[in-house]
Amino acid sequence: MTAPTPLLSARALTKQFGGRNGCRNVSFDLYPGEVLCIVGESGSGKTTLLNTLALRTEADSGTLHYTSANRDHLDLRALSEPRRRLLMRTEWGFVQQNPREGLRTGVSAGANIGEPLMAVGARHYGQIRATATQWMERVELDATRIDELPAAFSGGMQQRLQIARNLVTGPRLVFMDEPTAGLDVSVQARLLDLLRSLTATLHLSVLIVTHDIGVARLLAHRLMVMQGGEVVEAGLTDQVLDDPQHPYTQTLVSSVLPV
Amino acid sequence: MSITESHTASAFARGFADNPALMLRAVGVAKTFTLHGQGGVQIDALDGVSLDVERGECVVLVGPSGAGKSTLLRCLYGNYLASEGTILVRDDAHEMRHRAISGAPPHDVLHLRRSVVGYVSQFLRVIPRVPTLTLVAEPLVTRGVPEAEARERAAALLARLNVPQRLWSLAPATFSGGEQQRVNIARGLIAEHPVLLLDEPTASLDAENRDVVADLIVEARLRGAAIVGIFHDEDTRARVATRRLELTPPLRHTATLH
Repeated sequence: MTAPTPLLSARALTKQFGGRNGCRNVSFDLYPGEVLCIVGESGSGKTTLLNTLALRTEADSGTLHYTSANRDHLDLRALSEPRRRLLMRTEWGFVQQNPREGLRTGVSAGANIGEPLMAVGARHYGQIRATATQWMERVELDATRIDELPAAFSGGMQQRLQIARNLVTGPRLVFMDEPTAGLDVSVQARLLDLLRSLTATLHLSVLIVTHDIGVARLLAHRLMVMQGGEVVEAGLTDQVLDDPQHPYTQTLVSSVLPV
Repeated sequence: MSITESHTASAFARGFADNPALMLRAVGVAKTFTLHGQGGVQIDALDGVSLDVERGECVVLVGPSGAGKSTLLRCLYGNYLASEGTILVRDDAHEMRHRAISGAPPHDVLHLRRSVVGYVSQFLRVIPRVPTLTLVAEPLVTRGVPEAEARERAAALLARLNVPQRLWSLAPATFSGGEQQRVNIARGLIAEHPVLLLDEPTASLDAENRDVVADLIVEARLRGAAIVGIFHDEDTRARVATRRLELTPPLRHTATLH
């Protein structure tokens, strides 16, 4: 068996804000179908890293490569703006911590799911509506509420709506920034289970930022632990959590309250 | 790597090509934990253990508490990083007929866990909301077995382990300890991994269910699985073991106890 080509490859990626508060010297490969969690406390640089990887902020230095659906090996930092936008529309998704930032509040739930489809060329209204209905059911939303505005849904429902909006175009790589952080614990469990089954059945590659070790254990194949802007430990999820090597990871793991 | 080291490494590895029955080889595996939060104190948990396991063998680990039995199993599964030593597992999909678990990239360990090495502990890691039948069928589905067949096999195994059918559609979070453990065993054994690591799978079961589990383990062995296990009761050990490996607590560990 030969090793598959990584989907996303970062080498020595650095993004600083006035010499601090960023991420430094981050290197890793993400493989197709793999869920990678970035864990760390607030201020550790994990969201900066995610935004840099997703091309939402420009890296200062380092390299970032992506293997596209038609097998092109793209140098993301050198990619033109129109091609970046095309990539984000057709092959990537980005799920925000706050669903209201990732949804369009002025249009209906169905339109929120249908819009990304139209952006990649779907024109048949009936088909778009049918797909939106299917996706509402898939994320366990009441499909009869397809014409209601996002504000009419609860926080957990809005988050599921945002996930449907991101997955409807069949992306290959999805970035998620603390997707469960603002939700009640009972709603979290439902969302986690949904994410777990969707990532497995759709063979998605996912980069998730979280400060919650439980989320990481449930969803991730691999972990990267960040502290002070650097990745201090990385490895298989259960290995990093059961046999942490770095002092910071040991503190992080031992700080979780047993249930 | 020095010349002597690479020479020995290839000698370890040659066993897999020469001996088609060899499934798992551990050489000089040791584990020391460093607790940074507690003044960097070091705990030796396992002292240079070597072990070859062939197809159809069930090696039972014996020794007092603290001898490192569970630690060894976790090292073999890649759940703990071995501090020293080499762990090789047969992988016929690989041109060398084996892969290393020690020092392997996560990608390789995941591949081995999916296709070669299975691990059953005494604890079920509950996944919220996932029904029992789906949970048990999952390892088959991820290996490409059609969903209907996977569910059928899961149902048969759950029935055999006396998990009442009315529970199959429920998530096991609210089940009793013994029921959860049997769900866990079903999930661990269903995929028929060629190498099985069993950490006290019978710990909280009644005598009847312990017998069922022992039967399943013997069947796996007769099917050709290479098994390394820890069992707390002598009955089960006597029924499943083809060989025993005695572990002794590492010296430094014993020293700190006195």
